[in-house]
Order: sequence, then C-alpha cells, then structure tokens
Amino acid sequence: MTSTLLRIVTVMAALTALFGSAPAHAAKIRIVITLTDLADFAREVGGDHVDVFCLATGIEDTHGVPMKPSFVPRMNRADLLVLVGLECEHSFLPALIEASKNSRIEYGHPGYVDCSAGVSPVEVPLSTGHSQGDVHPYGNPHYMLDPLRARIAVTNICNALVASFPQYQADFTRNRDVYLARLNAKIVEWEAAAKPLKGVKFVSYHLHWPYFAERFGLDYFGTIELKPGIDPTPHHIAELIADMKAQRVPIVIREPQFPEKVPKLIAQQTGASLVKLPIMPGGVPRTETYIKEMDYIIHTLVAAVPAK
Amino acid sequence: MKRFLGWSSALCLAAVTLSAQETNQLQRLELRLQQMQDSFELQQRAMREDFERRVREQQAQIDALKQQLETATNAPTPVAQPPTAAAPATPEQVNQLNDKVNQVVEAQKKVLESEFNPSIGFVGESVFSYRSQGPDQTGSDRPGGFDVYQRSMELDVAGSVDPFARGYVVANASADAATGEATLGIEEAALETDSLPGNLTLKAGRFFGEFGRLGYIHEHELPFVNRPLVLDQYLGGETRTDGAQVNWLVPVPHYVSLTLGLGNGFGGDSPLNDPGAYRALSGLNYFGRLSTFFNLTPDWNVETGISGLINPDTQDRGGVDGLTGPGGVPMTEKERRVAGLDVKLNWVPLQNNQFRSFTWGNEVLYSDSRYQFDPDGTLNPANPSPGFSGDEYMQGIGAVGLYSYATYKWHRQWSGGFVFDWVQSASDNHDQTFACSPYLTWAISHWNQLRLQYTHTDHNAASGLPPDDAIYLQWAWIIGSHAHGWQQR
Ligand SMILES: [Zn+2]
Repeated sequence: MTSTLLRIVTVMAALTALFGSAPAHAAKIRIVITLTDLADFAREVGGDHVDVFCLATGIEDTHGVPMKPSFVPRMNRADLLVLVGLECEHSFLPALIEASKNSRIEYGHPGYVDCSAGVSPVEVPLSTGHSQGDVHPYGNPHYMLDPLRARIAVTNICNALVASFPQYQADFTRNRDVYLARLNAKIVEWEAAAKPLKGVKFVSYHLHWPYFAERFGLDYFGTIELKPGIDPTPHHIAELIADMKAQRVPIVIREPQFPEKVPKLIAQQTGASLVKLPIMPGGVPRTETYIKEMDYIIHTLVAAVPAK
Repeated sequence: MKRFLGWSSALCLAAVTLSAQETNQLQRLELRLQQMQDSFELQQRAMREDFERRVREQQAQIDALKQQLETATNAPTPVAQPPTAAAPATPEQVNQLNDKVNQVVEAQKKVLESEFNPSIGFVGESVFSYRSQGPDQTGSDRPGGFDVYQRSMELDVAGSVDPFARGYVVANASADAATGEATLGIEEAALETDSLPGNLTLKAGRFFGEFGRLGYIHEHELPFVNRPLVLDQYLGGETRTDGAQVNWLVPVPHYVSLTLGLGNGFGGDSPLNDPGAYRALSGLNYFGRLSTFFNLTPDWNVETGISGLINPDTQDRGGVDGLTGPGGVPMTEKERRVAGLDVKLNWVPLQNNQFRSFTWGNEVLYSDSRYQFDPDGTLNPANPSPGFSGDEYMQGIGAVGLYSYATYKWHRQWSGGFVFDWVQSASDNHDQTFACSPYLTWAISHWNQLRLQYTHTDHNAASGLPPDDAIYLQWAWIIGSHAHGWQQR
C-alpha cells in the first residue's frame, strides 16, 4: 500500500515537473480568450510575444460556447484569461475556471482580464429577477459591437499584458497605438458609411445591438426573443409583427446561431428585409477580424435600408 | 441515516419565543425595524442616483472623447495608409486620447462580485405519478396508484470561505411518504480548495463522491425522472459520502482527470457500516474515477471514465443476516466492491447548441462484493445463542447492471429520449430485471421545466415481483442563484 502510494506520488511529481506550468520564461505568453473579437485584439497587441487560444470559433452564441474538457489543459497553463465580462460568459466560464486549477487566471488575480472594466454599460437592470429573463445584472454585455467601447477592450488587454510582462512594454504599447490608429480611422469611415442608418428601425433575435444602435443612431425597435434567453410566444410574435407593420420597421437581424424560421416569417409578414449578421468575427464567412466584421455589418445593413 | 429537522418544530419554537416577549419590547422592535427599512430605502435611492449620475457623466466623457477622435482622425485619408503612418499630428493626440480612456477605465473599476456572496438558490421539484403496483411489489416507499410527491425542496448556499477555499451547502427536504412531513436533510456541505500545488483540488465534508456519471447529479437535474436502477441498487442512489476527495488534473496537454477519495459510507440510501468499537482503515470506503475526453469533430465529442469503489471490511453492513442470497440463504456482507465504466457521446453543434443537441450516455457497473453465507441461520442475533455452527462459508457474487439513454433536443424548449435499465441484484445475480422509459421534456425556461415519462419495469422471475407500469409528471423550478459546477456539467 505504502509503496504503491509512493509510486503514484513519484509519477505525479515527474509529470508535474515535465509539463509543469512555469509562466514567465516560457517561449510565448499563453493567452486563453473567450470570444474571437478579443482574440483578434490580443493578437494585434501581443504580436509575436503571444500564443492565443480562443474558446470560440466565431459561430457560437456569445453566451453558449460549449464547455469542452479539452479547453481545460489550455486554461491550466494560461498566463492570461481574457474575457468580455458583464457576465457575458456566465454559462460556461466559471466552471471552466474551476476545472482548470490555475490561480493565475482566477477572478481577482492579474491574469483574469475583464475587458469590460471602464466600459459604461447600458440596460443595467433595476431588478435581477428572472421575470426579466436571463438578465445580466451589470448591464448588457454586447458592448463589443460598439467600436468605441471596443477600443477600451484593446486598452485593457494592453494594460494586462504590460502589467504581467513589463519587459515587452514598448512592443505592446506600440502595437496598441498602431492598432488603435487603424481602428480610429475605421471608426470615422464607419460613421460616415452608416449615415443612411440614422433613425432606421430594426428588430433582432437577441438583445445584441443596443450599443451598436446607440453608436450609429439606429432605432432598436425590439427583439424576437420574449426576454433574453427566452424564445418568443406566438402572442409575442403576432404583437411584434403588428407593431412593426404599424411603425414600418424595415430590417430584421438574424444572428447566425438562431434558427431562421421565425425571423423569416416576421420579415415576410412585415415586408422587412432579413439580414444575417455576425456577433463576433468568424460568425459568417469573410469576417475573420474585428475590422472585417464591422465592415460587413455596416455594409450589409446599409444595403438593406430601403431607398427613400 | 440522516439527522432530521421538522419545519413545524422550528415554527413552534418561534411562536413560543414570540409569546414570551413583552408588548412594549415588540413595539420597540417594530419601530427599530421601521427605522432600518427607512434608512435602507434611503441608501438604495442614493446609490441608484449616484450610479445613474456616473453613467451620465461617463457617457458625456465618451461623447467628448469621440468628438476629439473625429477631429483627430478626420484630416488625412486613413484608408490606404499603412497603419504606422496614420497621420503626422495624430499619434500624440491618440496617446492623449488613450490616456483619457485609461483614466475613465481606472475611475470605473467597480467590483460587485460580493453582491451574491454567499449566493443562495432554491429548487422545488414535484412528481405527480400513477403506478400500477404498490410499494410491497415495487420496493419503493411511495404508494401505488395516484401519488403527488414533493421530492425536492432544496436550498443551495455557496460562497468563499477565505482566499484559499470555498464552501457550499445543499440542504434538501423531501416529503415523507407516511407523514407528509418535509424532513430536512443535508445532502452536501463541503469545503473545497485548489490552493494546493500540482493541479490538485481537495474537497472535504459531506458531498457526492465522484463515481461514474449520474451518481453525483442531484435528482432534479437528471436527464430523466428517476435515478437508474443500477445506481440505486449498487451505490445506494446518489453517491453521498462523508469524507474527502482529491482531484488531480494530470498536467499533460490532453484532458485527463483523476479523482480519489475516502469516506464513511458511500451512497445516500445505502446503510453505513456498523461503527463498532474500533475501526481500522479497512472499515472506510475508497472510491475514485479516471476520466478523459476526445473531440471527434468540432461538434461531436466523447467523454469516458472508469470508476471503482471498495470497502475492504464492511463490518457486517446492514447487520448480521441482513440479506438473503441465492436460494434464500441468509448472508452478511463482508466486503464491498463495485467497478464502473461510463461512456457519453455528445453532439453539441457549436453554432446552435441551444436549439439542437444529442446525448447518448451509458454506464455499466460490476458489483463483486463478498458475503458470508450462513445456511442454517445460526448467526442470526434472534437465536438464543447465536454463533458459528461450522456450515458458514465466504463467497463473492458477481453482478452486472447498466443503463443507456439517448436524448435528442430539437427545439430550445423541447427534448425527448429513452432510457433502458437492466440490473442483476448485487446479492443474487439470478434476480434480474429491466425497465424502459420514454420521456419528453419541456424546458419552459432555464429555471422552469416539466417532464413526462412512462416507465415499464419488467416482472422479476427470481423475486417474483410482477411488472409495473408508471407514468410520471415532474415539475422542477429554480429561484435565485444556481451555478453549474464542473462536476455537474
Ligand atoms: Zn446577450
């Protein structure tokens, strides 16, 4: 019994030494990132110093990335965990963090990088009761669809990298500035391109678009979901169709992870155009980066606005 | 088995205490309560106003920054330029802008995590049923015919103990079949720490030990209404134990998890060992599971594990002559051994797994316990002078049991499936039965779920039990916090 125990302990020690998790002097900084938009930012800011592993591929729902045990060894060895925050990842991330046994990336440690720090949230609920559906107590978490708020995420990622790896500070800040300059230029371009969207009413499947609508001046008319995370009742669909007809709402957005049937029906009944828009890079083809994704969203929406 | 606490006795106690109070003392208390409520409301209003003001300020700040951004980047044509040459005047301005954004970032760091610390949740679960056979024929403690059973009234509390450990409690009350009284028992109350070196997590207290796949899932979260027969019979239902378990995430690039534990007893409904006067280490239960996971494609994966449970000396668990073996021979359990293999195939489409998924879950258990047979029954304590007569002998009984279920989800709210059970009695492997149960689940929301299930349990040739047909309607609901831990995923 004792010798068996001793043997087990020896094997454990050997394995730990062999694959053990020494952070700083590893070849590259290991970053695990929940969603693809943040992964794009981390690659831009981290450059050659980082090895980025993203839990999502881009086609997932932001709240529904499958909890795969294969993520666990990656997270176990990560130096940084970068997340959207505002409970966007609440359905899968806490358990993965628990399973990955890596104190560097636990909440409250420097490796836990919540990109929502500094983002002013909208729709902070007055009550977190489930009568309002799967509400996020700190406000709507889909701020990445507002490029100005997304800038804050770029800065947060850079700050976290600098704090943990000050030896590369010059590279990180230079990369950040280069990327932000590119993003700033694109923001100006997007604002100009989105002029036809001003005041345009739209509905979407999930409440993904309040920050986007606010930034580009659209009028968020409603959602197909009854409440966040709760599918519509027939009554809700009928009411939405009637209201959309009365108010001449021209656009129905379907995020690719939701079934097409109901959005299509609503579009047909109201005469609105149905557009499929990604909610993170990779959600539809040719949107691999954040900039390409926003390009795609804005151009697709503008093309869907009926001519006056 | 558990220590029970009646709700009614708590109420009585409260009433007695109240009546003993002086009237003016009550009035003072009321006044104090009113004052506390007033000040709480005031504080709340002030907090909300403060928060709204800060949001407005930040919005104004962001708008101002946006203005600056536009003036900063409007002049040159940025599109065709390589990024490093954004504009002659901009880098400085952009840096200023970044600094301001950073300031906003710093100013806004607000931590609310403790808001739900400890987090509290409650689960209610009712089972409406019709069974064709009574408890004498089914072995259930619920009556035949029509029945309404309040199976779970579960209170979940969890929070951090200190920077090194977290703790959680699951207290559950089930309605007693005879009295209807909701008797509260502690299903789990454990402390867990991962502040150990080498990828180790230690859990200690009362908890559901890791063996197989569905043994440590709370009843209301099972994929069907009842726990599989083989888990009920070989493990004693849920894998509850008072003990400690260590989980090791093997530090290799592939996911491999090893859990080893020990405890006093194993299985919520299985009898404890006779504590006796002195217990050697062999009197405890040892259990563990080694598991891994493979991605077959991005959407298909398989999870598998092997488990073991051994209690080298059961100390006559269940009493001397507590059982009868093959041929009705009285016997006593001397050593408890169970091994298990679990395989679960999942189809979880990355894109729309909230609307479509498929699971095929299987567990096979092999019970290989050793018994002392006593054909003439001379060991029976009811005898005037119980003792060995020389006909006693030791023998192991190997028995197999399994379940296999498949669940298909075709709608955000709808899923359905089928579970097949087959089990040989651990004390007599000729005594075997099977059950088939189709089920249909309507998840109205994440916190509110109805399930309809039909179960046909076959007749049992060895024990002579007749077939049983049952229909269940299960309604489970959750209020408050309900976390999905890794083990319960
Ligand atoms: Zn959402």
